[in-house]
Amino acid sequence: MQRSTYATELTIFALIGLTTWAVAETKKEYRFEVGPRAKVSIINQFGSVSVRPSTGNYVLVNATIFSDKVEVDHTQNGSRVDVQSHLLSGATPENSRVDYEVLVPADASVDLESTTGPLHAERLHGDVEAEGANAAIDVRDISDSHVHVKTMAGPITLTNIRDGHVEIDSVSGDVTLTSVTGPLVRVSSTSGKIQYDGDFGYAGEYRFNSHSGNIDATIPQDASVDVKAQSVRGQVQSDLQLKPKVHTSFLIKEGSSFAGTINKAASSVWLRTFSGKIHLKKR
Amino acid sequence: MNCAEFQRELPDFLEDGGNAELQSHLKTCGDCSGLVTSLQSIIHEAQFLRASEEPSPRVWNALEIQLRQEKIIREPRASHSLLPSLRQRWGIAGWLVPAAAAVLIAAGVVLVPSNNRTTKLPPSPPRAAYDQSDEQLLQEVSMRAPLMRAAYEANLKDVNNYIRDAQESVNADPNDEEAQQALMDAYGQKSMIYEMALDRSLP
Repeated sequence: MQRSTYATELTIFALIGLTTWAVAETKKEYRFEVGPRAKVSIINQFGSVSVRPSTGNYVLVNATIFSDKVEVDHTQNGSRVDVQSHLLSGATPENSRVDYEVLVPADASVDLESTTGPLHAERLHGDVEAEGANAAIDVRDISDSHVHVKTMAGPITLTNIRDGHVEIDSVSGDVTLTSVTGPLVRVSSTSGKIQYDGDFGYAGEYRFNSHSGNIDATIPQDASVDVKAQSVRGQVQSDLQLKPKVHTSFLIKEGSSFAGTINKAASSVWLRTFSGKIHLKKR
Repeated sequence: MNCAEFQRELPDFLEDGGNAELQSHLKTCGDCSGLVTSLQSIIHEAQFLRASEEPSPRVWNALEIQLRQEKIIREPRASHSLLPSLRQRWGIAGWLVPAAAAVLIAAGVVLVPSNNRTTKLPPSPPRAAYDQSDEQLLQEVSMRAPLMRAAYEANLKDVNNYIRDAQESVNADPNDEEAQQALMDAYGQKSMIYEMALDRSLP
């Protein structure tokens, strides 16, 4: 009998707990009608932002708010939509999380910020900017537009990005690029690793720089590149047969730098680190 | 024309005022007009610095691009910002943002040599892990978001090491353009940390 009473009390407490949790988590939806090439900004202090294409000329924001210490503010000026998490008195990183699921027209430009992330954007052909100190950032299937990503410590993953300027800055977060090509692809890192898997496209300029982070590039044998690699204090290695260059802008030292071309050398690739290792691999 | 296309044509616009399409975009886009205003202001101020140090125009172009990329010269979103201003949120620490910009400019003027300079600079003295501005920044981070101090501290330390190594490379060969670029990258990374700490990342 006593055990039964205890179980009942436990159930009641659990139900109260679940109810409280459910009340604390609020879902809100905002819809904005926009014209072509809209500009959408989602500024979130703590929590995720995920952006996907909508089926029409509208922006749909679904926000999940996890406490009453934060609210969602929004403004629309023509085709420019700004949504921000607004921290209220008593807000802390722990209690002011908001998660956003956002649909935008595929040609919209998006600007995403969150300290904690994660940030995600996919299947767009407007410009994408994503920034967050510790946010994991994942951008995929973007074409004909610029992609700018910045993190301090969060990892960055870019997949299938074509025909735009790609500029990435990360201090310690690892950067992984898969099938990323364009007229300019620049990655700057201090201690994060830089990994590239792709063919470096055609007639692009690729610059990967780090201080201590390793740089790995995996390319097919039929890639068309003019590649230079230099590690000031680390090692370099190439698994591909390069046609040596007669003139280079730096002194070639066995084991710490190399330069050469593969096939028609359509794209320029410059890999440089101070103390990291550089490895050019054959796929 | 969208913002990316406008920014692609920005050098031409700054040089000769641009064509009708660029002008038209500028009239309707607050972000791009703010960017142009900031760049023109920097170019104007840079002329006075140029008189004393005379780095090549290429250096100034690189600085302008770097500042734009790092959003150091980004217009505040006052027109549609729903958050308190930086000054309100950070008080006296608000000066650290222009300080970071000044660091970048100083780096370009003093540390990046002009192409015709051939004498080697003296070796730089050993640096502490953090300078005074870094300490100030870390104190502010400690007050606002104590849990994030360790991350900022570690990343600042790494970036300062990057700057030190890049500086040594420039000192070793002042005409090495790649070393100059690495130094710019290193300062760019540092300005990014400042921007993230002071802009919107903390409550």
